[in-house]
Amino acid sequence: MTQRKRLSNTQISSQSRRRSEVAVAEEEDGDLTFTQPSTSQVQRGLERLTSAQVDQKTAEVVQYFLVKDQKKIPVRRADLVKHVLKDYRNVYPEIMKRVTQSLDQVFGLKLVEIDTKNHIYILINKLEPAEGAPLDNSPTNPKMGLLFVILSVIFMKRGAVKENVIWHTLKKLRVDPGEKHEEFGDVKKLITDEFVRQRYLEYVRIPHTDPIEHEFRWGQRADLEVSKAKILEFMGELHNQEPQSWTQQYRDAHSTPNSTQASTSSQR
Amino acid sequence: MSQQMGDSHRRFLQNMMANGIVDEQDAKTLYQHCCQTHNTQCILDKLDDFIGTINSKLQPMFMQIRKGMSEDSGHQYYALVNMAETDVTRMSSDYTDTELELFRKTMDLIVSSENGKASSTDILNTADTLSTKKLKKSETEHLLNRLVHDKWLNEKRGEYTLSTRCIIEMEPYIRTMYQDQVKVCHICHNIAFQCQICENPTCGIKIHHPCVARYFKGRTEPQCPACDDFWPHEIPEPQRKGKKTELIYMYLHVWVHS
Amino acid sequence: MKRARSSEADEETPRQNGSSGRRRGVQQHRGNEDDEGPGLGAANLQDDDIDPSLRREIRSKYRDLINSVQQNREDMLSPSNNKLTEVLEEANKLFQDVREAREAALDAQLLVVATDLGKEKASQLFSEGAAFDPTAFAEHLLSFMGLNRLEDEEEELQNGAVDGYLPQDAWHRVAKRAESCFKTAPAFHYMMGSFHAEPPPPKQRIERQRKVPGKEAKRMMPTQLKKMEESHQEATEKEVERILGFLKGYHQDDPSTPISYYEFVIDPNSFSRTIENMFHTSFLIRDGLARMYLDDKLPCIAPVEEGEVEAGGSASRKQCITSISLKTWKELIDAFDISDTLIQPLNTQNE
Repeated sequence: MTQRKRLSNTQISSQSRRRSEVAVAEEEDGDLTFTQPSTSQVQRGLERLTSAQVDQKTAEVVQYFLVKDQKKIPVRRADLVKHVLKDYRNVYPEIMKRVTQSLDQVFGLKLVEIDTKNHIYILINKLEPAEGAPLDNSPTNPKMGLLFVILSVIFMKRGAVKENVIWHTLKKLRVDPGEKHEEFGDVKKLITDEFVRQRYLEYVRIPHTDPIEHEFRWGQRADLEVSKAKILEFMGELHNQEPQSWTQQYRDAHSTPNSTQASTSSQR
Repeated sequence: MSQQMGDSHRRFLQNMMANGIVDEQDAKTLYQHCCQTHNTQCILDKLDDFIGTINSKLQPMFMQIRKGMSEDSGHQYYALVNMAETDVTRMSSDYTDTELELFRKTMDLIVSSENGKASSTDILNTADTLSTKKLKKSETEHLLNRLVHDKWLNEKRGEYTLSTRCIIEMEPYIRTMYQDQVKVCHICHNIAFQCQICENPTCGIKIHHPCVARYFKGRTEPQCPACDDFWPHEIPEPQRKGKKTELIYMYLHVWVHS
Repeated sequence: MKRARSSEADEETPRQNGSSGRRRGVQQHRGNEDDEGPGLGAANLQDDDIDPSLRREIRSKYRDLINSVQQNREDMLSPSNNKLTEVLEEANKLFQDVREAREAALDAQLLVVATDLGKEKASQLFSEGAAFDPTAFAEHLLSFMGLNRLEDEEEELQNGAVDGYLPQDAWHRVAKRAESCFKTAPAFHYMMGSFHAEPPPPKQRIERQRKVPGKEAKRMMPTQLKKMEESHQEATEKEVERILGFLKGYHQDDPSTPISYYEFVIDPNSFSRTIENMFHTSFLIRDGLARMYLDDKLPCIAPVEEGEVEAGGSASRKQCITSISLKTWKELIDAFDISDTLIQPLNTQNE
């Protein structure tokens, strides 16, 4: 018994160490400690490193972006420097150049800095979704269905929607924000917290409202990832109506320089 | 080998990321689809070269598309695997530390068992011995379902086995960590969990069921390929059970420990 | 659309004129909303005293109106809905008795809410192209998700909305459809490398498995069962005996035909009673009063004869564990074509 206890204590401490590292860095506003090195600094830094070392670090950073993307959480430069780059911070620009290239050339993914002030990055796909993808049984995430519905309503309501409209609509779809849902768990948390952290949605307070009211808007990730034109196409299918009949939305979908236009081939 | 990657390669890789594992037939269909989408030439029997090109670019990232056999059907599969354990790879967020500990202990059970299986009862008991945090029975059951859903474990009638995806990715790990316990198939030389064992106590070699089926096909007097003793097991037939029977079996979660 | 536009526009125009005219008067008070001091009334508000209880009533009515606009906002936005007009007419009536700043402030508050709604209604009316109605959208989406609409009229009346149940893959269908609209990066998942490599603890597995069956069997009983056993021990014992009675009865009726385990425990009318039956039956097995065996690969159950109970020591006994989900339960009912329960539920027996 005592032996087991001792064993578990040491394990706990090693586990929680790993956890707390992550937690601390995410909370503190740690980017202050990092200043972008100058070109000459980078040059000097590279001279001290072997190419194998630089390759190794590049690989680690690529993996870091892939790991963070498992849950679609944006990456902050401060965390990247602290957890992965560490002693290589002086060659940061060179590593990032290689990482961007490797994500692009190998995976067909684009690294986008969505917040140039706080230096926050996300990955989006450079390849267009394929028509008639062959593997029917490939796993789908029902949460993406829910997100899709919310983004559609916001878009159709011209960019901003009071939260009540969303809850109202979802209730009709048998999803009650006040109840635990079989697939989505805590619906309200998923929508106002998880989707917001992933930058799919913005959930903002409407000024001068009493009682307090919030509205939803598209987040930066949605702007980059989601095609308004294709949403409108789906709306047309659903309502058995021409997409053009929503004149204004049609104009929005085809004028804003969003994801559809950003899709260039990744071949260089 | 120094072939450059194109969009067809990248699309193939992205599909591998989304699926984790595909069988050979699906891999070929996928290969064709990717080539068609990006108007590139597709030579069906050059699938392994196509994947080789991807792998040459993936290897520096400690990743690989690796081929392996299903112990169950004997079919070939391709899985996208991670090859290294680093501070970064341990940041993976699919499972919590506690959940991973339970998975590791489940693997311990499976590898150390006679038949390459662990009953859900034994796994549930293991959940009481976790060092980080105890898992409730329902939490453990939920986790096991997730592990099956994510294709890391297989479940049949309440017994868990390592999935093809798991074996392909974890093979080097299992060989290193369980060197005293793990046995390889005498025919294909891969590690063997679901297999038949020679009953000669001085021999005791293992052969995967599909390898047995292939090796002894058409022989009336099957003999152990190592010791020439009579091979006393039923030689499995290549064809599969009917859909309906299989369905009923799947749901009869009854097993008897003797 | 056209019909709605003309009728609404007719009603909206005078209303807007009226309210903007009134509004000017009210706005002079806005800064003093909280102040009830006399002499703050604007020129167009008379200062004569009115009954405090009437004032209270006015305030309460204003609050009700504000509430009703806020609560029913979505429905009021619908082009065919005239509720906004009714609310404003009601407010006009109330305003005739408003003498003090406090009531005027509530009038202003209602106007803010109503104007906001009116603005949105107007933007719907005068925007070019089709309007988007979230309610209609949800309706179409339900069909897309494969809603099984219930024929049962009673159900429909209860909710006033479309009733029915969604198939299990409803949200997967939407997610699948959404894929073509998203350029989401696929995620990389792996097991190897997600935890610290660690060799297994040394084991003496053969001894452990073979030598202590008694202890093992005890440990194997799921914790849930243990808890139940403590709190409801007596009730459980009674129920176990009752079930044994059924089992013996069926066996005596026809000793040569095996009793299918699933046919025995499944109550096709109740999933929870099925679970209870399985739970209680497990005690029969544990205590060696019944045995399970496979007949043509299907599990069967039979009572153990009196003499055998002693003879078959614990060492030779086998441990059974069964599990069932709602889905499995339904499928088993179909597979075995079960229409009746073999174990009569306790309460119906008593009644």
